[in-house]
Amino acid sequence: MTRPKIDREVVLHVAKLASLSLSEGEVERFAAELGKIVAHVEQLDELDTRDVPATAHVQLQGTHLREDAVQPCLSRDEALSQAPRVEADGFAVPTFVE
Amino acid sequence: MRAMLDELGVTQIAERVRAGELLAETVAGETLARIAALDPGLHAFLHVARDAALEQARELDRRRSRGDVLGPLAGVPVAIKDAICTRAMPTTAGSRILAGYVPPYDATVIGRLRAADAVIVGKTNMDEFAMGSSTENSAFGPAMNPWDRTRTPGGSSGGSAAAVAARMTACSLGSDTGGSIRQPAALTGTVGIKPTYGRVSRFGLIAFASSLDQIGPFATDVRGAARVLSVIAGHDPRDSTSLAVTTGDFEAACGRSVRGLRIGVPDEYFTEGLDAEVSASVRAAIHDLEAEGCTVSPVTLPHTRFALATYYVLATAEASSNLARFDGVRYGLRVDSASASGHDRTGASDLRGMYGATRDAGFGAEVKRRILLGTFVLSAGYYDAYYLKAQKVRTLVRQDFDRAFGQVDVICSPTSPTTAFRLGEKVDDPLSMYLNDVYTLPASLAGIPAMSLPCAPSRAGLPVGLHVMARPFEEETMLAVAAAWEARSPARGLRPPLSGSS
Repeated sequence: MTRPKIDREVVLHVAKLASLSLSEGEVERFAAELGKIVAHVEQLDELDTRDVPATAHVQLQGTHLREDAVQPCLSRDEALSQAPRVEADGFAVPTFVE
Repeated sequence: MRAMLDELGVTQIAERVRAGELLAETVAGETLARIAALDPGLHAFLHVARDAALEQARELDRRRSRGDVLGPLAGVPVAIKDAICTRAMPTTAGSRILAGYVPPYDATVIGRLRAADAVIVGKTNMDEFAMGSSTENSAFGPAMNPWDRTRTPGGSSGGSAAAVAARMTACSLGSDTGGSIRQPAALTGTVGIKPTYGRVSRFGLIAFASSLDQIGPFATDVRGAARVLSVIAGHDPRDSTSLAVTTGDFEAACGRSVRGLRIGVPDEYFTEGLDAEVSASVRAAIHDLEAEGCTVSPVTLPHTRFALATYYVLATAEASSNLARFDGVRYGLRVDSASASGHDRTGASDLRGMYGATRDAGFGAEVKRRILLGTFVLSAGYYDAYYLKAQKVRTLVRQDFDRAFGQVDVICSPTSPTTAFRLGEKVDDPLSMYLNDVYTLPASLAGIPAMSLPCAPSRAGLPVGLHVMARPFEEETMLAVAAAWEARSPARGLRPPLSGSS
């Protein structure tokens, strides 16, 4: 397949997906660096993997699910103790409309 | 005359404290004094838990005087990589975005160490979110190598490695995603173990790449690392990837005969880019293991050269998802969008603006680079070409090991292609930095246990690591080979110049 060129538009698009606000200097720098890394990654194209199954996880055993039982957890005060802003016993976020 | 504390390994400290020959408080006090004297020149620690360590040690002494039998790490000071959550002790993962974060809970491994009567002395320096091979990506400044302070101790668990190399502590915990325990162990002349994937619970480890991350020990000797591993290993219902297998007698394995064991040596690990002195030292170690009764034969791992590209697709994809949690809401740094400068393209609402501004201010360059790469390989149109492709190549890398382990019991190689490089040498070239991990990445992708331990140092006196890999669950075979080599290694007893306070 044809490979994308990593330019500033690609970086800005990906930064938006990743919720990163980048400075102009960072956009230029990452475009150049990511281009090099992606070019290196494209050596994987040498391998024919049509009939190879994917490994998402080594799965040496099945997944162990714990009992669905009520357990003690952090108190509300403990859970909120590290929040940058707390209002009305909850995590405070800026107003938003979507 | 009593041996100086910094000459004692994990098992010796624990036995003396258990026997009442040494007070835990004395051990903690001497450890803290050594950290105060040496760490300003090494920056291995991000936080020293002075009061908590002394209090914990005094409590152990009180319990012993009441007749309690203390645990297998009685009074042993342990340094903890700052990616592992410690209740009431700061945990930053080397990032500005978590500066000042104090977790309200302990990671499972911390609970296990405490239950074994270890003393937690502090949190160690690391590359931000474990992304790096030199600790130079720490938001709080790099750690230095005790063998030569102009050089890196490796990374990402560089602080944990430097603390043990300088004998500030006899052991520490690190985490290894693509080599972050083994490479720093090699570069600092310490023993470092990455257990089988799932052997040790990650509950409370700040996640980097969940299909690869594994916690493991550093120690001054193989037996000490084996004891720490036996304490932290075991099933944990709070980590669904944690294996339901019995923890073997890792320490007993260190005394097991290696006669008749088959060692495989992969040609693909002795190619271009490998330093000649490292190659010679590792080959000499393998040759000496033959004298112990092992048989040595070549094996082939043909997909080795594809491991780096595979790893950087998979690890960054997983990281981009794991690091989405750092958004300025529940913990850590928060920067409101009004104060954001520069190119704000993250969306119209205040909420999205806050996310973007917080993450731009809180993450360093390497973390942003990896989040961008990971988001890119997962994004619409590129998923099959990059992410799915890498998952398939991961299968090929695993199959290489499956085939090789049909013929041999362990595989030995160099841990890192070079000795410790200079601080600043590779920091501006991400690909050259990533190449440090070429020999450690394949074992991470395959989920197998692997460790590094010292072999003959270079002519310049820098440590060289021997890498030992084994089948899944077969830490005991790996440890037997490591202990057999350690007993005859020319690196035995060598210490870095900075650590000699006696």
